[in-house]
Formats: sequence, structure tokens, C-alpha cells
Amino acid sequence: MTTQVQSSSGASISITGLLTRGSTQFGLLIILSVLWTVFASLSPGFLSTFNLNSLGRSVAVDVVVGFAQMVVLATGGMNLSVGAIGVCSVMLAGYFLQVLGLPIPLAIAGTLAFGGVLGWLNGIAITKTGVNSFVVTLATASLFSGGMLILSHGVPLNGLPSEIGAFGKATVGPVPALAVVALAIGGLLYILFAHSVLGRQILSVGANSRAAEMSGIPVSRVIVFVHVLSGVLAAAAALMLTARLGAAMPAVAGDDWLLPSFLAPVIGGTSLAGGAASVIGTILGALLVSTIRSGLLILQFASFWLQFFLGVFLLAAILLQRYRSVLSAREQTRQA
Amino acid sequence: MKPVTFLLREQWSGILLAVVLGIVALSIANPTFNTEFNWFVLLRSICVVALAAFSQMIMLGVGQMNLSVGALGGLVAILVGGLMDAWGVPAIPAASIAVLVGGGAGLLNGWLTVRTGINGFVVTLATASAFTGINLGLTRAVPFYHLPADFVAFGNGRIGAFPLLMIVPIIVTALLAIFLNRTVKGRHLLAVGGNSNAAELSGISVSRTIMLAHCLSGLIAAIAGVLAVAQLGSAQPTIGSDWLIISFAAPIIGGASLSGGSVSITGTVVAVVLIGLIQNAMVLLAVDPYWVTFLLGSLILAAVWINRIRTVRMERAQ
Repeated sequence: MTTQVQSSSGASISITGLLTRGSTQFGLLIILSVLWTVFASLSPGFLSTFNLNSLGRSVAVDVVVGFAQMVVLATGGMNLSVGAIGVCSVMLAGYFLQVLGLPIPLAIAGTLAFGGVLGWLNGIAITKTGVNSFVVTLATASLFSGGMLILSHGVPLNGLPSEIGAFGKATVGPVPALAVVALAIGGLLYILFAHSVLGRQILSVGANSRAAEMSGIPVSRVIVFVHVLSGVLAAAAALMLTARLGAAMPAVAGDDWLLPSFLAPVIGGTSLAGGAASVIGTILGALLVSTIRSGLLILQFASFWLQFFLGVFLLAAILLQRYRSVLSAREQTRQA
Repeated sequence: MKPVTFLLREQWSGILLAVVLGIVALSIANPTFNTEFNWFVLLRSICVVALAAFSQMIMLGVGQMNLSVGALGGLVAILVGGLMDAWGVPAIPAASIAVLVGGGAGLLNGWLTVRTGINGFVVTLATASAFTGINLGLTRAVPFYHLPADFVAFGNGRIGAFPLLMIVPIIVTALLAIFLNRTVKGRHLLAVGGNSNAAELSGISVSRTIMLAHCLSGLIAAIAGVLAVAQLGSAQPTIGSDWLIISFAAPIIGGASLSGGSVSITGTVVAVVLIGLIQNAMVLLAVDPYWVTFLLGSLILAAVWINRIRTVRMERAQ
């Protein structure tokens, strides 16, 4: 689902034609299937149940991290504190479960609410000061992770209830339970953006906030809302990560989430300028990143080069997208 | 204008006051603060920070951001270390080559930003990952330890409390001040940052100016990388990984506008001293080092908030 108008003319069936003219999501699907074929033929281990399972569990977390950034990108802002909210939530969930011994549903609800509160602080700081979301969230990222480290002393919590780790390993049929959670969250976000007034308001604030303001949309409230949503999603990703690892560790997110949080939505066709959000694209974007990571690991590429490839792929993806939009603009002028 | 009113009008007067009060308070709280050696440590620690901050300040001046400052500095750091350790290149040619590579990497950032028309944020996020990847791929996270003795001696040398290392940031500061205030290119850079449409209409090549800014930012980040190696005495692949927040914090606390066109070299320097002072105080008072991260975040928020109040007041006064 992309709200930008895509040029559907030029019924070329060649692969390059599809890559440059079809929707971003379709292009991503083609790249993904090519990569899967290559990796599977080079190494049979790629399609093993074990590898697919671990791939599915790591994609699930990346998808939700990407969603946490996507909802803010839709308004034309950004949230650099996704990782910081993530680590704070990881440690709080650990504290709730291990130190306070709260029942699991209560701990989950409390952690999600806490993520929402941190996001709300971001939103309030941005709308009240009128300062660009980049600086505010850069500062709050530092505040949140600093505060968390001061309180937790950076000590991991390993004595979580066994159900948490068990859920992280569980599968529903062949699909990891964590992936089902990510898909469910994706479904809810799809409904929000495609079928709700609030979703349309978020996109119109992103497309042109002055015009949105003049047509009676409460711009400040919408911005605060997306930051709360982003905080809740970051907390959800944190909980999923805690389940995957079976422990609450302070060093798991933070800076490490910065790149993935932008990679998935930007590769998936969400523009930094705002006004567009693609739930399916973000899922495919995260899947692409995890496929590359998993494929390179299974081909026993030195993991040190991984970061280099991720950077190059992000560049290639944005260049391709840029090329496509130039092409479609040219085609539109030709038709006009 | 009287000196006192001049000081009060400047945006950085508040942080200067904070620096002075901090120095007085620390001298009273801990007698080791005012020793010659502690001043040397303090001054040496701000050299790299100042350059990382200038590297970002140039980009804020032209109205863009460079997320690859740290990654570029780290890549240059292992490059200069590798040239000297593995290839036996003497210090000065090695440093010159590494700094030129940094300038080239900055130019690549600029070229990609201008040619594709994509937001500099995403471009430098991607190149940052690529630079860090090259760094880790080449070194496999193993540092270079065997550096020429004269190079290490330069990093440790001092005259009284004055670190020899500080000569470099002082020269860079002076050149930057001349460039931004007295040269046509420097004024163009700020003009593009202030209003790129107006700059374009008055005949300034916006894309060339943005590329120049990226190139300068890369050069300065590269110098910071070389200095970090001299300071540590070894080329660690982790150099630069913690520059991101500090590189934004110092110019912003020093009064740079994020919309571009307005930066303050003095303000940035005073902010860097304040950050160095905070880090020094945490060590002397044996406070949890995590407080530095926390305080840095609070300072940025306070600075943007005060700037906001100031702008609103000025608008009202007009």
C-alpha cells in the first residue's frame, strides 16, 4: 500500500522494466526471490528449517523496529530514539518480570505503556518547542539510554520466567510465533493507514502540514500521537527481542537499531519527506535486509563486511527509487 | 558597544557562564582539578571533540547533516594506523594521505547528495554504514598498535599544561573562522544554508557549495580521526563510534541554527569546553560515567529550548 501515485503505463514485461516501473513492493519481491534462489542454490543450508526459523524470528523484530520509524516518517519527522526507547523497555520488562515478579500480561502492558510515555515526551517536546524532531529525539535518545544505564548499571537480567523464552522459540504451524505477532501488528497498522480517518490525517500532515492545519486537522495532536505510537511499537519490538533472547540485556538495541529502523521503511518505499507509508514495503524491506544478512552469514562471508553490504544496499535501494520517480515523472509529462 | 552588553547579546554567553562557574566549583570541590596534569588531560581530551564538532558545524551551516562524521573519522583512523604499522609509511605522509582520503569520502557524500537529490540524512546514514563496514572488514576489529615513536610522542607531548595536539585544532579553528567570515566561498556556504533558493537566484551554485561543505566536513573529520590515533597511541577500529551525539551537541549548544545559515565557531568551542569539563568532572568526582550521556541529552534540550525562547522574544520585539 503506497499512497503515492505510481505510473502504471508502459506495459513492458522485461525484468528491468518491472524493477523500474512496477510498484516498489513488486520490485522488492522480485529482488527477494532472486536472492533466495541464489542463496538456496549456493548453500542448501539456507532453506533448512533451522535457518528459516532463525531468519523469521530476526525479521519479526526488524519489521516492528521499522514500523516504529515508519509511523514517524509518515508525518515527515524522524525518531532517533527508537533504539533508546527499545533498550529502556527491554530493561523495564526485565525489571517487572524478574525483580517485581509481575504476571506476564501485566508486565507486557506496563512495558508497552512505558514506551508510549517516552514517545509522548518526544511528541510534547517537539510540538511545544517547535524544534525539529531530529534534534529533540537525538537529545532524548541520549537522555533515555543514559537514564536507563544509570538506573540499571548496565547489568543484564537473566532470570526471566521460562515462558518468555519459550514463546520466543514457539511456532504456529511452520511460522515462528514472533513473526505472527509482527504480522498482526502490520495488519493493525495497515488498517490505521488505509481505512481510518486518523491514518489519513497522519499522511496529510506529512504531505503538507500547513495545508493540513488549514483544513482543520489538529497537527500537533497528530504528531504527538505518532510519537506515542512509535514508542509503543519500539517497546513491542523490545519485548519481542527479550523473548527471542530469553533475557533482558542493556546492550541489545540503542545505536544498533538506528540503521535497521531506517533501512526497512526507506527500502520499502516510505519517503523521508513524509506523506507516504507502506506497511507491506516495510515488511519486505526488513525481509530483504535479513535475507542479505542471513545469506552472507551462511555463505560464510566474514561477518565484518556485513555492515558494508548493508550500507551499499541502502544506497542502491534509494538510488533505484530516485531513478524510478524521475522516470515516472518524465512519463507523466510525456502523457500530459 | 560595551564589552558586557556584547557578551550578553552573544548566544554563547550562557554556556560561557556555565563553564566559568563549573571551573570555580570544581576547583573548590576537588584540589586535583587545578593541577597542571589535569588541565593537560582536559585540554587534550577536547581536541578531537572540537574537530568532530566543526565537521558537523560546517554541514549545519549549509543546512544539511552528516551522519557519517564518526564512521569517516574511524575509517581514516585505521587507515593512518595501517599505513604506519603495516606499510611502514612515515607519520607525515601517512597522515596526509589519510586526510586526503577523508576529504575524498566527504566529496563522495556531497556528490551522492547533489546528484541524486536525496536527503543528505539518508545518504550519509548509508555511507556511514559502508565506511564502518570497510573499517571492520579491513581490520577485523583488530587495532594497529605499532606506530612511529614521533607520532605517539606528538600525541602525548606537552608544554606545561598545553598539549602539543592542541596546535592542530587551533589552526583549524583559525582557518575555519577566516573561511566562514572573510572568504567568498565561506559566505556562499552560509547563504545557501540560510536560503538556498535565494542563493541560487543570486548566482551561487548551490550544488557546488553543498559538495564543498561535504568535502570540508570530511577533511575535518579525517583530521579528527588522525588526532584520535595520536592521542590513544593506537589505531582502534572503534574510534568515531561515539562521535555522533557530541558532533551535533556542541554546535547546537553553541547556537547553530538547524535550519542552516547560522553557526558560531566561538559558541561551538565554548560548548566543547563545557562538554570536556563535564567529562572531566565525572572522572574527578568518581560519578557514574553514564551521567555524561544523560547530561549531554539534557544540555541539548535546554539549549534548543532557550534558543526557541530567544527567537520568540526577538520576533515579538520586532
